[in-house]
Amino acid sequence: MVDATVAITSETSENEVLSRIYEVGYHIIPTIAEENLEKVVGGIRATIEKAGGSFIAEGAPTLTKLAYPMEAREGDRRISHDRGYFGWVKFEAPVAIAEMLEEMLKADASILRSIVFRTVREETRARMKAPTLREVKRTDTIRSSPRREEEVSAPISEVDLDKALQDITTD
Amino acid sequence: MANILTQNDIRHVDYKDVDLLKQFVNPHGRVMGKKRTGLTAKQQRAVEAAVKRARFMGLLPFIQK
Repeated sequence: MVDATVAITSETSENEVLSRIYEVGYHIIPTIAEENLEKVVGGIRATIEKAGGSFIAEGAPTLTKLAYPMEAREGDRRISHDRGYFGWVKFEAPVAIAEMLEEMLKADASILRSIVFRTVREETRARMKAPTLREVKRTDTIRSSPRREEEVSAPISEVDLDKALQDITTD
Repeated sequence: MANILTQNDIRHVDYKDVDLLKQFVNPHGRVMGKKRTGLTAKQQRAVEAAVKRARFMGLLPFIQK
């Protein structure tokens, strides 16, 4: 146990810069044109690359409905948005990147909200399919079942009916 | 409630997995207790952290009216 800790500390001092796995998630304001999205994402990627980071995985920004309205400052006014282009990047970079990236994202007016946190290299998204209430095949058509033909019975006499009623009531 | 994470062999909980996280919050948007979710302490902490990240990023509501 003690040996392991010693080994780790010596390793980090050799490398000098300690690299960690981070993920950045961001919402780009929905008013931005779709062709300019790449420019904003490019800015984030450039910041990571400049700090000596390498990319692991990425999710392209897609228009997502927000669970609650978020306000963004546009000049002097505050504008409320109910949707945003949500994207994310997973990368490995020296520890100084986290603070740098956060500051850069906060300063960017086209970023509605962002988050930077430590994660693991493996794919973290669950490969589980959310349980559906029931599965119905699209091709299935509901066929109407043939109606049961009404039973044609012989006319019941009054006497028989009375007798049957009597039996029921005595029971 | 059976442990959903162990059953489906889910090792990491991602804040982007909204459908998965929704199974651990009640209709008001609050995180269910450990007794309701049936998760281990470690898993419960991971779910709590993921739900809080998802809320901050507007993927899950803080409160549901």
